[in-house]
Amino acid sequence: MKRLRQFPTLHIDTNETRSLKYRGKSLQGFAGDTVATALYANGIRIFSRSLKYHRPRGLYNLDGESSNTCMEVDGVPNVRTENTLLKDGMVVKAQNVKGSVDHDLMAFIDKLDWLMPAGFYYKTMHKPAAVWPVAMKAIRKAAGVGTISADYKVKGRYDEIFLTADVCVIGGGAAGMMAALTAAESGVRVIVLESRPHLGGCWDYRTGAYKENKPLFARARELAGQVENTSNIRVFKQTSMVGAYNNNLITAFQVGKSNDAFTERYVEIRSKSVVVATGCIERPLIFENNERPGVMQVACAHRLARSYGLLPGEAAVFSIGHDLGLEAALDLFDLGLKIRCVADIREDGHDAGLLAALAERKIPVLKGWVAAKAHGCKQVTKVTLATLDGTVKRHIPCDLLVASAGHTPVNGPLILAQTNIAYDNHSGFFLPKKLPEKMFSAGWMTGRSHPQAIEASGQVAGLKALAAIGVTDKTAVFAAEKEAAALPGIDRGCKLVTAPVKGRKSFICFDEDTTIKNIKQAIDMGFDVPELIKRFTSAGTGPGQGGIPGHNLPLFVSKYTASASKPMPTAVRPPLVPTLLATYAGAHHHMFKRTPLHASQKKGGGIFRNIGVWQRARYFSSDFDCKDEILNVRNNVGLLDSSTLGKFRIFGPDALKALQRLYVSDMSKLKQGRIKYSAMCNDDGCVIDDGIVIKRGDNDYYVTTSSGRAGNTVEWFRYHTRYDGWQYHMVNLTDAMGVINISGPNARKVLKKIADADISNNAFPFAGYREFTVKNTIPVRAMRLGFVGELSFELHVPSSYMQSVWDMLMAAGAEFNIKNFGLEAQNVLRMEKGHIILGQESEQRTNLLDLGLGFLWDRKKTAAKTVGAVALRQAENDPGRFKLVGIRMQDDARAPRDGALIVDTHVRGYVATARKSFTTGEAVGMALVESQLSKPGSRLEIYEDECNEIRLQARVVPMPFYDPDGQRMKM
Amino acid sequence: MLFTYKSLWGKKPRLKSSYEVVIIGGGLHGLATAYYLARDHGITDVAIVEKRYIGFGGAGRNTAIVRANQRTQYNVPLYKEALDLWPVLTKELDFNLMFNNCGNLNLMHSEAAMKAARMTIATAQFHGVESHLIDAKQAKEMVPALNISEDITFPIHGAMYHPPGGIVRHDAVVWGLAKGCAKKGVHIHQQTEATAIHTQGGKIAGVTTSQGHIKTPKVLVSAGGYSAGVINHMLGLKLPISVLTIQAMVTQPLKPLLNHVVSSGAYHCYANQTLKGEIATGAHMDPWPNYTTQTTAHYIKHQAEALSDWLPCLRGVRFMRIWGGLADMTPDMAPILEGNDPIGGFYMDCGWGYFGFKSCSAAGKYMAQFIATENCPDMLKPFNLRRYEKHQLMGETAALVSYTPDN
Ligand SMILES: Cc1cc2nc3c(=O)[nH]c(=O)nc-3n(C[C@H](O)[C@H](O)[C@H](O)COP(=O)(O)OP(=O)(O)OC[C@H]3O[C@@H](n4cnc5c(N)ncnc54)[C@H](O)[C@@H]3O)c2cc1C
Repeated sequence: MKRLRQFPTLHIDTNETRSLKYRGKSLQGFAGDTVATALYANGIRIFSRSLKYHRPRGLYNLDGESSNTCMEVDGVPNVRTENTLLKDGMVVKAQNVKGSVDHDLMAFIDKLDWLMPAGFYYKTMHKPAAVWPVAMKAIRKAAGVGTISADYKVKGRYDEIFLTADVCVIGGGAAGMMAALTAAESGVRVIVLESRPHLGGCWDYRTGAYKENKPLFARARELAGQVENTSNIRVFKQTSMVGAYNNNLITAFQVGKSNDAFTERYVEIRSKSVVVATGCIERPLIFENNERPGVMQVACAHRLARSYGLLPGEAAVFSIGHDLGLEAALDLFDLGLKIRCVADIREDGHDAGLLAALAERKIPVLKGWVAAKAHGCKQVTKVTLATLDGTVKRHIPCDLLVASAGHTPVNGPLILAQTNIAYDNHSGFFLPKKLPEKMFSAGWMTGRSHPQAIEASGQVAGLKALAAIGVTDKTAVFAAEKEAAALPGIDRGCKLVTAPVKGRKSFICFDEDTTIKNIKQAIDMGFDVPELIKRFTSAGTGPGQGGIPGHNLPLFVSKYTASASKPMPTAVRPPLVPTLLATYAGAHHHMFKRTPLHASQKKGGGIFRNIGVWQRARYFSSDFDCKDEILNVRNNVGLLDSSTLGKFRIFGPDALKALQRLYVSDMSKLKQGRIKYSAMCNDDGCVIDDGIVIKRGDNDYYVTTSSGRAGNTVEWFRYHTRYDGWQYHMVNLTDAMGVINISGPNARKVLKKIADADISNNAFPFAGYREFTVKNTIPVRAMRLGFVGELSFELHVPSSYMQSVWDMLMAAGAEFNIKNFGLEAQNVLRMEKGHIILGQESEQRTNLLDLGLGFLWDRKKTAAKTVGAVALRQAENDPGRFKLVGIRMQDDARAPRDGALIVDTHVRGYVATARKSFTTGEAVGMALVESQLSKPGSRLEIYEDECNEIRLQARVVPMPFYDPDGQRMKM
Repeated sequence: MLFTYKSLWGKKPRLKSSYEVVIIGGGLHGLATAYYLARDHGITDVAIVEKRYIGFGGAGRNTAIVRANQRTQYNVPLYKEALDLWPVLTKELDFNLMFNNCGNLNLMHSEAAMKAARMTIATAQFHGVESHLIDAKQAKEMVPALNISEDITFPIHGAMYHPPGGIVRHDAVVWGLAKGCAKKGVHIHQQTEATAIHTQGGKIAGVTTSQGHIKTPKVLVSAGGYSAGVINHMLGLKLPISVLTIQAMVTQPLKPLLNHVVSSGAYHCYANQTLKGEIATGAHMDPWPNYTTQTTAHYIKHQAEALSDWLPCLRGVRFMRIWGGLADMTPDMAPILEGNDPIGGFYMDCGWGYFGFKSCSAAGKYMAQFIATENCPDMLKPFNLRRYEKHQLMGETAALVSYTPDN
């Protein structure tokens, strides 16, 4: 096709060609073309086949309001080609096509629509039942548009950007630009989001007069120039707003230009105030075959010519309901389009100047007429026009039918921000009842269309946005409002929804192939609210996000049901524009915490696992049994990185009170230099944490928590003391301190070499706490614990010194052949000692008593109102609880798998941890069982997954399994 | 029937001044209970009062995943029965509920998760429910889009495969049950909000609605996320329920890609493909209690990040719609099914959180029996309210649930 050239409104650069591949051919477009306009220029009229009926679909709109021009581009399905800029070398494919898009083998289905009334899936296909699985397969195959292969890797770079602004303007049309300029004058930071590649909105291509001798497009360019040259306005083009959340959090995505560092990026803006100036889209006209290729909306036809230099057809019929239709007809005629006639739904209210101009060009205008049917199988060849009551008809041959019933405001951004909208009888628009705080609307979407009124409303909104954030006062707003009020007000809108037709092929929703007839069927079946009809017929649930049926559906329902109440809009949900997952994910990267020893643990052969928020060395043995690691601790000496433990300082006059509230033990008895192991429960008495508490001074404590709880601990303390007004502070030292555990009979010999203190058993006995230095420099907090059941020191070291201390210990232990051990070895070692790990030996409902830790609980400190104490008292006499017991397998050959059930005729418990002990040679473990099974000697039957009913036998035995007197840890 | 377009639920009934049973909430559980009251117990003098339209609540917002691989022996039989009921109900209601029993895959990302899965699988197998542990490679064979490499945030160790589960068309269940109810004479009153429940001498006496007063000796509250509020407001009973927003979203429709429901606890993310071709995904609740159904910017991004990791081909697909609903969470993630305690004639069926779709048929069946006979069926006994008073939680979750600071 030949392009019209040399207009000031063109957005293509005919000096720069761009090529694309389509159906094996290389086609040419120009820089500035969208994929669809380039295809259109190459004579392509059918872009896709429709979802259900495989009807041919063409270019109808240029803003992606339907899936008509959704195609696969470079392997990505459902790209809205009509508003995706063409890049050189794109490979484009039509979707939902069997055969070719021109000759679709499935096209016959269009004739079978009578077999598929509204909700036919629900009413059929289940009789007989055997049909359903087959039918389901067929439905799945038929449904869906676009394919993605399982191994598809999206190309390009996806990024994200988080911004703040004083005023964020959504929509870069005349009103939005005025609002931005007005706000920017005060010096505040303004952001403008515009989804098209250029500012200007609907004035961008319009030749109507802004003022004498100045067409609208010239004014749009003038404003755009000002906006772009204002340093405190940041303009984001090709940026579609997709979400609005509380307190003016706006999300959007931006498509990168060829020289941008990103392909697309996620944009999130926290703005103090927001102006929405998103204008209007056209409300589709509904008649028979209203989506035949060759039928398009007014702005689409107009922009094809004015922005892309493409005359959309040769001979056109217009069927419209507003002055913009007349304006476009006039302009397109002047550009060379033959216009057979203009049918205008309106009987009166036309712009006299436009009528005169049309008459001057001898273009017939039929008032009170409307298109009733488009003819032609693949493309429009003829149109039937009818009077509104359908009594008189005329047939007119043409290859283009420009059709549009009216306009509808783009309210999505307001609705997402929780604005209630209501139908307005005068304009026929859904208008906001009340705008949310610090959000304002301006421009065409408010129902005004007079150019000066549009600009004035933008100015008012800009001032209101400033007033809302205290930058200007109300008087400026009032003055501007008064001026605006003197300008022409809200237009009367055309209300017609459908031409006088039965509606069998009159589509209210293109994406889902929903016809007027389907809507009637649904209503007759009892679905009387638009929201339910939407669900039942799928109308508005396709990729076009309701752009086509959004306004017409409520109008039609209200009319058909002769409902006394006003039309009710259906829900609008984010994202307003379909958005790639890659874009939402943005620069997403993994975030795990690493201990200060990460690198050396890795070097030492550690096999890492992600555990909670941390990466930790779980194994140092490739067999995962960890036999050497375990035996090395039992017989020699090993080092473990325990830095992930939660570590806190709690201090202040009421610190002890807080501890008494949260811990089950009596902390008033705690002596300096000693450690106390204790637990915290929740209100159900269930254990939520265990750890040690150390008194370092009066009301100055150092406590540890389990790794998983560290993040919640401060909040947990705060929550449970929130009404007491106690004075205490908590400092989270989890990341400031690392922890080295040195365990095994040779541990003291190694540590002695580097510690500047007497660490003999007398000077530093079991359960003791000491602070000393290493090499006269490094402060260490040391405790003697027995988690793994051997002589063991836990050293808490400032993170920055961790590696040094570790290396010193490694060096000092070289003569003993000191070795790393990992979490799994620790797991087995402590299991042999009957020491629990929360979450492993406990579940959500396990309380302190169930775990056999009742001895930790001090019943006498009632004044402390210890969390969980009430529940524990109650549970003491409750026979219906689980108990943690030691078990030993009848056959020591192997331990049951963790998680195996204890059963008889019912489930009676389960195995928490079980291993074949390398130390004792026995297959032992811990299990949670119903209390009647908890006595030593009780026989247990174990049911593993995939056991084929073959149960393993075990007995309840006393714990610990290793060194019952605890001699070894006290060495 | 294909070509007749009569109202599925008959003519709009007029609100009578008294009913034998009044059900508050026209969601899944209210409709199912009414249906079984009529079907099994001949009680048809029943009014369902629904403040908006049927399916307005969780019923119309859920992602329709059904399965019977719960953790405890109290839950498994109830969910198993519910799972078995989908084909039966399809036939009985003569309404296609579109049960796609494609099977569920729960991904496991750690040794601890594998252990937890073993226990759940053993429990399922012990109760005759099919469920197996498979390794990452087998999972990949079933779901070719899965990323089983080591270099993702939570590498996949294996999966729990539960063949009998799948997805059902959630709207169909609402409409089908409503159709069945109406046919049997139950009155469904839409746009009718219950505003007060009246008692006399410790017994239920009536319900006030926005459309008038109803005398009744029996009331069931099955108002989904609103139940705890309704029960507290109208009867002064405080339930241990936190209400949180839960969000879900769909992508644009695609040709078949996922043939199973796949979910991941570590990523807080599940994905399945609806019959329409959309990939539906969701999972976790917002971490703060609230009664709104608003979505958040954070969540849709989180979901995209998660899917980018474990189903990376979806990066080339677009999200189309996200919505929110309410999840009424109890401390042990198991529901409260209670009657005649502490008020005679008062029944409640709530606390279903994000698992009240899959259970609705069986729960409705047994609730109907409860209401009709005034005796709690054995199946429902473990779900009594008093368990919380006794600190006897159900054990449906392994680990602590941390959606509020007070649990
Ligand atoms: C996003 C999301 C995803 C989910 N995914 C799943 C899933 O995959 N699988 C699953 O099993 N479950 C899922 N669920 C949970 C499931 O939807 C709910 O548990 C279920 O809907 C509860 O059913 P219900 O009948 O109790 O309540 P609802 O379906 O919520 O119905 C309650 C009804 O009560 C009405 N009501 C409230 N107050 C009043 C009043 N005062 N008077 C009259 N009527 C009133 C409401 O309008 C509502 O219609 C999900 C939920 C959500 C929100």
